Amino acid sequence: MIGSFLDQFWSLTFGGLSLGFIYILIALGYTMVYGVLRMINFANSEIFMVGTFATIIIIRDVFKFTQTSEYATGFRLWLILATALIFAMMVSGTLSMIVEIVAYRRLRRMNSGVLAPLISAIGVSMVLAESVRILTDSRPVASPRAMEKRFIGQFFDAGIRIDNTIIVISALVLFGILMSFVNKTRMGKAIRAVSMNPNAARLMGINIDGVVSATFLVGGLMTGAAGFFYVLKYENTASNIGFELGIAAFTAAILGGIGNIKGAFFGGLALGLLETYASFFLGTQWKAVTVFIVLVLVLYTRPNGLFGEALTQTRA
Amino acid sequence: MNERYQMKKRVMISVTVAAALAAASLVAVAPASNAAAKTITLAFQGPLTGEEASVGQDELAAMQYAIKLFNAKNKGKYKIKVVQADDQGDPAQSAKVAPGIASNKKIIGLVGAAYSGATIAALPYYKQRLLPMISPSATRVSITDPSAQGGAMGVPVFHRVPPTDKVQGPSLFKLATKGVSSPKVFVVDDQSAYGVGLVDYMKNSIPAGQSAGFDSVSDKTTDWSATIAKIKTAAANVVIYTGYFPQAAPFFKQLRDSGYTGILAGGDGVLSPTFLTLAPASVIEGVRLTAGTVPLAEIDAKLEADFKKKMGKSSGVYAAEAIDATNVFLSCVAKGVSTREAMLKCVKAYSGKSLTGSTIKFDAYGDVAGGVMNGFEVKGGVIKFTGPVG
Amino acid sequence: MINLRDKGAEIWENQGRVGRVVLALCGVTVVASLPFLGGTILNTPIADYESVLVYPIAMFVLMAIGLNIVIGKSGLLDLGYVAFFAIGAYTMGLLGTKTGLNTWEILPIGIAMAMFSGIILGIPALKLRGDYLAIITLGFGEIVRIVALNLGALGRSEGILNIPTPPAIFGIEYTFDSHRIYYWTLLVLILLAIWMVRRLSARRAGRAWESIRQDEDAAELLGVPTFRYKIWAFVLGASVGGAAGVFYASKTLFIAPDNFTLQISILILACVVFGGMGNIWGVILGAVILGYLPDRIRFISDARLLVFGLVLVIMMNLRPDGLLPRKKREKTIDKKDAT
Repeated sequence: MIGSFLDQFWSLTFGGLSLGFIYILIALGYTMVYGVLRMINFANSEIFMVGTFATIIIIRDVFKFTQTSEYATGFRLWLILATALIFAMMVSGTLSMIVEIVAYRRLRRMNSGVLAPLISAIGVSMVLAESVRILTDSRPVASPRAMEKRFIGQFFDAGIRIDNTIIVISALVLFGILMSFVNKTRMGKAIRAVSMNPNAARLMGINIDGVVSATFLVGGLMTGAAGFFYVLKYENTASNIGFELGIAAFTAAILGGIGNIKGAFFGGLALGLLETYASFFLGTQWKAVTVFIVLVLVLYTRPNGLFGEALTQTRA
Repeated sequence: MNERYQMKKRVMISVTVAAALAAASLVAVAPASNAAAKTITLAFQGPLTGEEASVGQDELAAMQYAIKLFNAKNKGKYKIKVVQADDQGDPAQSAKVAPGIASNKKIIGLVGAAYSGATIAALPYYKQRLLPMISPSATRVSITDPSAQGGAMGVPVFHRVPPTDKVQGPSLFKLATKGVSSPKVFVVDDQSAYGVGLVDYMKNSIPAGQSAGFDSVSDKTTDWSATIAKIKTAAANVVIYTGYFPQAAPFFKQLRDSGYTGILAGGDGVLSPTFLTLAPASVIEGVRLTAGTVPLAEIDAKLEADFKKKMGKSSGVYAAEAIDATNVFLSCVAKGVSTREAMLKCVKAYSGKSLTGSTIKFDAYGDVAGGVMNGFEVKGGVIKFTGPVG
Repeated sequence: MINLRDKGAEIWENQGRVGRVVLALCGVTVVASLPFLGGTILNTPIADYESVLVYPIAMFVLMAIGLNIVIGKSGLLDLGYVAFFAIGAYTMGLLGTKTGLNTWEILPIGIAMAMFSGIILGIPALKLRGDYLAIITLGFGEIVRIVALNLGALGRSEGILNIPTPPAIFGIEYTFDSHRIYYWTLLVLILLAIWMVRRLSARRAGRAWESIRQDEDAAELLGVPTFRYKIWAFVLGASVGGAAGVFYASKTLFIAPDNFTLQISILILACVVFGGMGNIWGVILGAVILGYLPDRIRFISDARLLVFGLVLVIMMNLRPDGLLPRKKREKTIDKKDAT
């Protein structure tokens, strides 16, 4: 077993890492909202799901790819990828803001506690998942392959595939942009202020509604990007994929310390690797069990997750 | 010999289809009959909402298609109503839908339930009220097996068109390893009762030294890299997936992309026209599949085109089975049956041709006697019939 | 909108002892006669009305009462409540088919198993707060299902078949289709649970939970053994779930892991919040409505879950404290953290 694990170590690790980066981006959607509102955005999983469909619309319907098309190359390929990424991010970001208005805003103004918005967010996610299900005839939808999945290098025994490389690099870039947005810009500072103390922030003249909207927008943008990368890597989606991935990403956020952007990063990576290794060693069916046992152990020893809570602790 | 069988079958199929299409086209011409139509109520049970909805929606569409053809043939003599019993593929939902369907005396026949678990949960009620049922896709062996726990629990009301997992399991193995000199077979199931059942019945037929391992992967899985690593470690050259097409396509795709070049195979859960749209043609080229019946497009391209025209979408996994099941009821209706008792008797005595031309006749436990598995292969982007797996 | 909750409490408190007994009897009679109203507007299309009364309605009510002890009373967010339901059901399934024990004998065992697993889960989980507890309990619910899905002894995905119905008791016969009898039996269980919760709420435990919910640190400083009372709430909630599970298994005769998905946990949570967290009558009302609605609106077939989701969103926005919220003075609490 160990011998065969070493044989497969690098390809497992690469698989786990690129999955981990997708988790990171979805986890950011949870963590941003949690950092500011102290609420679980249950609809985030469906925002992700819609992001995957937005990507497919671009590749399949705008650029007219089919399963038998020639792969795109050069400038055209980058144009397609960039368009799909931006479109998915915009759709998810907008949707995320709408979700905030529909499910959270009124309740937030009424000071209704955390559970009422949780249930209304669950309601929104049911509406989203079921609408898409009806629109897609309950069938899974595939994205035609626009980019050839070739190997661009070799690392020990494992081939490095282009799509995984793109995911890792662009996720890192997006993450860097997010970090500097939160740490450097005016809006980022406002978000951190609200996260630290909403009442004080309001007294300082910060427009809370605007900050909350911006937070949902940013979370949605990241989640939408995850939708794009997901389609790039797996090329399939369905109206029901949100739930499972949402739970996994939420776990990742908690593992790292929810509300903490760096926590989402390491939580996502740790979860991606953990799932992949556990599936190999213990059998795929025990993956979820392993993940939760590790989560309990982590939280038991570090009650605020690996990196602690709060957006405010993200100072690099 | 094989070829001749195939030829004969082809001819038969074409004749059946041509007749059906001719009947269908007559409708356009014939004005609606003014005579009072006889109202007959049938029911469909399967998942119509929720996560499993695609299976149920596809079967329901096939059932409605069969009814359309029937109405066309009989020019308004009958008015067939279909009660849609949505069980979400969930035994708990089924247990509350079934008493309602069972006590609705207007319903004289039920196509379904689509899932075996839902079937088992519903059976006590249907047996009590003697509602005849014909399932297009509940293939769990124990429902009709007299030696199973509970002993052929489906008798007398349960019937099914497709052969059971007991027939399919070994056939799938046989087809997957056909022509491979030293097969090393890796089997992956989807943890559903269907997938696990197929593996259980396949296991006994795997000769010593040909098994490279097993894995059991939740049907919610999106990333297959761990399973793929196991397959590579085991140096398998045949991979069989017992599950449904929505997972099969991404699995096969990821497996091929990782450099695997061996054989890919799957059961009737994978055999769907939608499967072809879920992966690049190069990936699924050569995938071997088994099924009791045949996709509509393979029976006749015209049939699939007609289906698409009438139902507004392409046919699904168990379309042919659902049409066959509905046709059994409809042929009884045409004989004047209008009660459950008469329907049950008529179904038991039924002997007729399926869409593919094979004989449908139920044995004492409700199975189609001598069910034969057919083999298929994806060639040039279409699922091609390769003859029965003997 | 008038405050139904206060109105109801007012009527109740203005009655003497006799008046209360009469009111309670009237209430029970009305509820007990529900199975006879199948022919009226209440009837559900397609799904059988009487079996809808048993599952989901009565089962949901029972589970919502149990979950309310955990969430409504002591403020612990439990997203894996289905685990206890599953443990009760599998105890019944396993012992009922493998041993000669009958439902009534298994009922206490099932409850004990659920309580025991409540302790096992509670000890590590309750050291954590708020949303961490949510994910741990959620994970636990999934673990129970996954174990059932993978252990041969539990029938894996095929589940357990031929679970016996309860034997006759006081001359009442149970068969799989005597929905009314099951409904009335569940009604007795529900009344017992209501009685238990009301007794406890008025005593030391109730006050301790209330203080934990309002401010855990303050409670701890005032000498309330918060951890012990949290475990208590958890275990009591588990026991109700376990009882529901045992009874469920002996009603449906067949259980499989598919019956115990995360969606059930979420649905029960929705019942509690939708109805009015912390107020037992609100919780019951919530469970009745959310259990009933999906079957009542079956005529819109394809879109019914969509409509269900819309109802959740709209109702939570209109009445964030639920249909029948708890008393005003008890409400302060959950607002602490909200912006």
